[in-house]
Amino acid sequence: MKKLAFIAFVVFLFFLFYSAYEMRDFGNPPSNVRETFPDAKYKVTMDDRIIGKYNTTTGEWEYGAVEETGANNVVTSVVFDYRGYDTLGEATVLFTAIAGIMLLFGREKK
Amino acid sequence: MKNEEMNEGKMTVIVQTIAALLFPLALIFSFYVIMHGHLTPGGGFQGGAIGASAVVLLIVAYGVKHVEEKMTEGGFSVFESLGGLIFVVVAIFGLFLATSFLANFLVNEPIFGKIPGWGQAPLNSGGILPILNIAVGMKVIGGLSAVVLILALISREGEEK
Amino acid sequence: MFEMSLFEILIILLSVFMIASAIIAIWFKDLLASVIALAVMSLLLSLYFYILHAPDVAIAEAGVGACLTTAILIITIKATKRMEGDEE
Repeated sequence: MKKLAFIAFVVFLFFLFYSAYEMRDFGNPPSNVRETFPDAKYKVTMDDRIIGKYNTTTGEWEYGAVEETGANNVVTSVVFDYRGYDTLGEATVLFTAIAGIMLLFGREKK
Repeated sequence: MKNEEMNEGKMTVIVQTIAALLFPLALIFSFYVIMHGHLTPGGGFQGGAIGASAVVLLIVAYGVKHVEEKMTEGGFSVFESLGGLIFVVVAIFGLFLATSFLANFLVNEPIFGKIPGWGQAPLNSGGILPILNIAVGMKVIGGLSAVVLILALISREGEEK
Repeated sequence: MFEMSLFEILIILLSVFMIASAIIAIWFKDLLASVIALAVMSLLLSLYFYILHAPDVAIAEAGVGACLTTAILIITIKATKRMEGDEE
């Protein structure tokens, strides 16, 4: 059993180091973005690929989130606008948890 | 510290004074983070966690018995449900006034829908995003405070038996 | 080969301190000290998120991990036993 655990540990360590070796630099896009948009003017980051709009005529990236939602914080515009259903589900999870706790431990009013 | 005070769950006078000073400041910071959720980093969940930690500070410093007289877990639960109700009602308004559920129907409107230019940060921008931020903030403040308050009450009752 | 920027040095230092405080949290027999070590790990994790350009997650981690979790665990320890492994 100990031998098996050691083999599993070595395999896991190999995959960990392999993924760390293959990982791109912090903030850099995956290489297929460069292949898809070869004439982009400046360095494309990961956020631009998700939220920005690629203008095919000028070859530049435009930030579409500020005009579409009117919020400066792009993270909030993703959380509450683009992925609003996800936030609604999170709120439902919180509500269910509180309802269960109140049912279990809530006391009667005097 | 006297043994009787320790049994009541209180802490020393120094901790109580500092907690009383820090409680309004933490609440103000929580409201700031919630209100500026669409402009600066932060939002409903983060500000709600800060506000709930302010309530937890009071519970730890003054003991559950003292806090329970001012605010009950039923009140927190009602507050939390109110936040969820505001969230769903605003989302359903998007269904009727605009295209779909959770649609941002207030953007480009005169009052709340101002689109910020480069370097500007007006508070009345973002459409329905500030309202949803406030709703989620109410949910998180009420929910986390209720959980910690109920946990402290249960552990107190277990000690008394 | 080993030219490191300030960013990489900070990341390596933070990782070492985080692993150290996590090991300390397991190693202590006093559960109260263990909870404090866990809070230190959570605070370092929020600093890590901040230097990785994710301030939203950093605020949430600092609020929930370093304050609320610590308070809940300390209330639980107060209701049960402080030392690990002593039988009453």
